[in-house]
Amino acid sequence: MTRHLIRLIWNRKRQNLLLTIEILCAFLVVFIVAIFGLTFAVNARAPLGYDTERVWVIDVGRPRTLAGQDGAEAAAAAETREREVFTRLLAAVRELPQVEIAAAAFTGPYVNAEWVSGMTLADGRKVNYVYNRVTDDFLPLLSMPIVAGRGFAREDDATAVDPVLINIQLARTIFGDANPIGRIIPEKIDPNRARRPADPPQTPKRVVGVIEDFRQGGPYSTPQAVLFDRVRLDGEAGTPGRLGVPERLLIRVKPGTPAAFEPMLVRRLQRESADWSFGASTMESLRERKLNDYMMPLTLLSVLAGFLLLMVTLGLTGVVWQSVIVRLREFGLRRAAGASGASVRRQVFGEMAVMTSFAVLAGTAIVGQLPFLPLPKELAVPAPVFAGAVALTAAAIYCLTLVCGWYPSRLAARIPPADALRYE
Amino acid sequence: MLRHYLTMTIAVLKRRPFYTAISLFGISFTLLVLMVFVAMADHALAPMAPESRQDRMLGVQSARMFGPESAWSSNAGYMLFDKYARTLPGVEALTIFSSFQSVATYLGDQRITSQMKRTDGNFWRVFDFTFIEGGPYGQADVDEARFVAVITRATRERLFPGAASALGKTFEADGQSFRVVGVVENVPDIRYVPFSDIFAPITTAKTDAYKRDIMGDFQAVALARTRDDLPIIREEFNARLSRLELPDKAYKTLVAPFETKYDAIARESPLADRSSPDRQGAKLTVFLAILALVFVTLPTVNLVNVNISRILERASEIGVRKAFGAPTRQLIAQFVVENVILTLLGGAIGLVLSGLVLRAMNQSGFIAHSAFTINARVFAYAVLIAFAFGVISGVYPAWRMARLHPVEALKGGPSR
Repeated sequence: MTRHLIRLIWNRKRQNLLLTIEILCAFLVVFIVAIFGLTFAVNARAPLGYDTERVWVIDVGRPRTLAGQDGAEAAAAAETREREVFTRLLAAVRELPQVEIAAAAFTGPYVNAEWVSGMTLADGRKVNYVYNRVTDDFLPLLSMPIVAGRGFAREDDATAVDPVLINIQLARTIFGDANPIGRIIPEKIDPNRARRPADPPQTPKRVVGVIEDFRQGGPYSTPQAVLFDRVRLDGEAGTPGRLGVPERLLIRVKPGTPAAFEPMLVRRLQRESADWSFGASTMESLRERKLNDYMMPLTLLSVLAGFLLLMVTLGLTGVVWQSVIVRLREFGLRRAAGASGASVRRQVFGEMAVMTSFAVLAGTAIVGQLPFLPLPKELAVPAPVFAGAVALTAAAIYCLTLVCGWYPSRLAARIPPADALRYE
Repeated sequence: MLRHYLTMTIAVLKRRPFYTAISLFGISFTLLVLMVFVAMADHALAPMAPESRQDRMLGVQSARMFGPESAWSSNAGYMLFDKYARTLPGVEALTIFSSFQSVATYLGDQRITSQMKRTDGNFWRVFDFTFIEGGPYGQADVDEARFVAVITRATRERLFPGAASALGKTFEADGQSFRVVGVVENVPDIRYVPFSDIFAPITTAKTDAYKRDIMGDFQAVALARTRDDLPIIREEFNARLSRLELPDKAYKTLVAPFETKYDAIARESPLADRSSPDRQGAKLTVFLAILALVFVTLPTVNLVNVNISRILERASEIGVRKAFGAPTRQLIAQFVVENVILTLLGGAIGLVLSGLVLRAMNQSGFIAHSAFTINARVFAYAVLIAFAFGVISGVYPAWRMARLHPVEALKGGPSR
């Protein structure tokens, strides 16, 4: 039967080729939406690694100084001064009765500033990770689950190596199934690497704990490797943890704190340091904006794809309809020779199914090239998601052509054989 | 002849309303998307207030430093322009201003977020803002670091609700207090170079540390005396930067060319070579053309398929005309003209629809203070796009039609 159908299709190859190309285009359009949608859906089910309820973020803007421009000593002196100011800010915020807990960090959840860093392992592998520098209170403030070991604490003050926290993914990448707690990350340290004069010498990193995750971009972002350094504001120059000046203050307010707390908070900080700038926002508003960053392109894409598919549906229906009318004699002959209406209908559907299958195969072959393209690692889609998107798209395209063939095939099946044969 | 084609086209379109509707839907939707894009690009790039003299403007919006191991990308610093751009040849006026920055104003419990730019006095000479009341601050205000500000109409409504005039009133932003000296018409934020809600003198910054930076948070726009001076300005500044000794030894080169807005946008596109100070616009044009081509592939194939069906429907007509000796060329011309008329019709519908979509976008505040419109330029582009679409999607079906064998055609279409 299939061979017969393929021969029938071959006999009308020019027009059918164009139809197949159109179905193929539709396949590609659906695939783009499917891969985005499915990636987001899969990501949304993975744990976030933090809880932002009642958390506020304050962007702390310092007057800019270009490191190294005025010499290493001037830069180090400026940094010491800035760390003192930051210590005062943190103390001032902690004194406010509305504040439950406060911490400082380079960046926070849903914040747009992202720092991606990397290292070369002893076995030559290069690992990229989302990087953050946080004070000891950062983890409890965001209720971040610790899977193994502990969070940063005062006892890290005395160590000569950098205490770090890593997430499950990074632990697995570096240590496999072995227990990472207390171990030094086997990292190649490059002494020739260009660095800012104010940075402390690079020291080995020792894992003190494993956090569940820290997906800065929110629920739709793809889980990545994460590494936290400990930052302390009171250390001597050159000691571990004396890593620059944090860029953000995070606080968790007590339940029922009104929005009117914000001007009070900002004025209090402004009073502490008049020439710095402060911008407070609730995590809720940052989260909304971040989610919008993900959903907006997907929505636009879906609307466009929706209209394109509607166009294809109408167009294909028209084309199939026309081809049924042209071939009424053929169908009439089949009916006269004893074929049932249902069998004629099956023939129309069968031909469409064969064409759709060709288009789906070609489409799969085309999108199947994607994993072999030299794309950045962050854009790589895991194999199950990829396969799922292909399956979803194929199903959608079969449904689409089924809908397109519905009315024309009914027309073909309903026509009385005598009428069809009289046509000539 | 054309009139005859037109009559034929309308007769054919009326005969099969279903096909006509499918074709028109596909055409008008495709052109709608392209037209909305063109209108947005026009609103972002065409010369209009406050950038009416854009054809004589070049600006630096980003700066990048490159070293063997590292790259640093941000805006340029004040010193870079102050020291190396002020003396450029062919410049009528040069303005240096900060990128816009979010600032908060508290009215009682309520927080009002505005964007604020700090500028020099020349800012008001290079850009032609429309003042509703008051006027700009001058270089004297900047030199004396007076806390004065120019705000936009929308900002006046938000900061001083209900007030007829804001002149002389003061407001707080970023912990500082400013006196309003002028109110200007809103600037759409898609015109991101002059865009802001609040403008204040550059010297009101909280410290003067910015004056020593070569990388920082500043942009510059140069207004050339004539258009012929544009390449001179670009090349001279690039030459000065190539001789520059960078303070941070980790970096070897600094790329911050004076460019047209289109070239500057192109520099951020994925195809651009950001480490080169050469113009990148041509690459963006190629990229956009490919993108548009990919987008129209599906609608074109769809229209070709529908057109072929329509032709088969008219096989007997074609057969008769061929039997009476109509040349192939004439048949092709007829069908292509028919198709172009159809696409222009779809284009007209698309134009009306895109007008509605753009109005909805303006009202939704999707892009702040945008006023997307279909002006003569956008209209001309729309007609051009519709025409090209009509020719492309008409040629293949017409060729198929013309090749029909008269006998087969008379019998009602080809069997294959």
